Amino acid sequence: MKEDDDATLVRRCREGDRAAFERLVVRYQKPVFNAALRLLRDSDDARDVAQTTFLKVFEHIGDYDPSFKFYSWIYRIAVNESLNALGARKPCEGFNGEEPDAAPGPDRQLEGEQTGQAIEEALMRIKPELRAVVVLRHFMHLSYQDMGDILLLPEKTVKSRLYSARQLLRDRLLQGGAI
Amino acid sequence: MADSGHLALIHGEIDGELDGRQRAELASALLADPEAQALREDLRRVCAALDALEGVDPPPQLRRSILDALPQSTSSRARSWWSAPRLRYAALIAGVLAAGTIVYETLDGPRPAASDVAGTMAAAGALTSVDTVRLGNGVVSGRVSLYRDRAGLGLEFELVASAPVDVLVASDGHTLRVNGLGMRDAPGGPRTAVALRGFGSSGEAVDVTFLMAGHEVGRATLRAPKDR
Repeated sequence: MKEDDDATLVRRCREGDRAAFERLVVRYQKPVFNAALRLLRDSDDARDVAQTTFLKVFEHIGDYDPSFKFYSWIYRIAVNESLNALGARKPCEGFNGEEPDAAPGPDRQLEGEQTGQAIEEALMRIKPELRAVVVLRHFMHLSYQDMGDILLLPEKTVKSRLYSARQLLRDRLLQGGAI
Repeated sequence: MADSGHLALIHGEIDGELDGRQRAELASALLADPEAQALREDLRRVCAALDALEGVDPPPQLRRSILDALPQSTSSRARSWWSAPRLRYAALIAGVLAAGTIVYETLDGPRPAASDVAGTMAAAGALTSVDTVRLGNGVVSGRVSLYRDRAGLGLEFELVASAPVDVLVASDGHTLRVNGLGMRDAPGGPRTAVALRGFGSSGEAVDVTFLMAGHEVGRATLRAPKDR
């Protein structure tokens, strides 16, 4: 992460420089899209979430506190938007138990290997709040502290969720013979 | 089965978080426990498979669609008025007063006049918290605190969500609804304090239900210690 560069671009955005905003879009569109894709497993929904995320960044950049990392802020928006999109699919899904099997969609083609598919399917069968920590750790490669900042959780809770998520994934992959 | 301490060490090892002493402790635990050893190998394989998933390029038209959807007005306009300290404080006060107008009792209990409600919005810095629940279910994050001041009990919400959150408060036959919390761009910021006028002053559980678009997205129960 190039925090200085982000800070400069954000400052220019706040001064009304749309070219600076475009550079932020170029820099963050892939991680934001991928975070949403891993959480939603639907490329159309992930594209919509990415677009909404950047529009919110643009609209609220005047409220962004530069003492925090910019990527924490934008990833928090992306994760929340993704979770909202999941909630819109099935109200309250995932809050009282595990999700049902996800229906295979076109995004299955995105990952060719069997283990990769099995991992993606297993991910969709754990609660969204557990899935979010896996996405932030294993796909975004963020530290526990950054994950806590994004999810507004203490590090201890982040670790607890991550450990639970991995063990659920392990159980599911063992059941399916994928590992 | 590996105990929780050893499990934490296994996950810590995967994340590269262990120091030398912890690595030695884990090594000795694994030697003594074949099940823990098998679990460690399984988890390492799971994490390796997760790490091996490759990122996907976003659709080529994504950048263009984002830029085309931007409003014509720039964010600097919003920042310039918001960043002026006097206007910021004025907006904060206006936000608190506006939030007061959306607080109303839904069932029995006296319905306060608008002026009464506005007066119940406590100053955030002057509250004594007696119970706090942190929220982190992935949809709504933050905390809700039960506080007590000279006028009685109240709730202070500090929520972050990307869509407005409505809150139902219920205790001892009284209910109260607060709408539109959790938005970062709310004039008063993410923190809102609401007095529980007419509610019991202590002992009873205060149940708080969080709703988004009419659907329950979280629940918390807070309790004030009984008055002595």
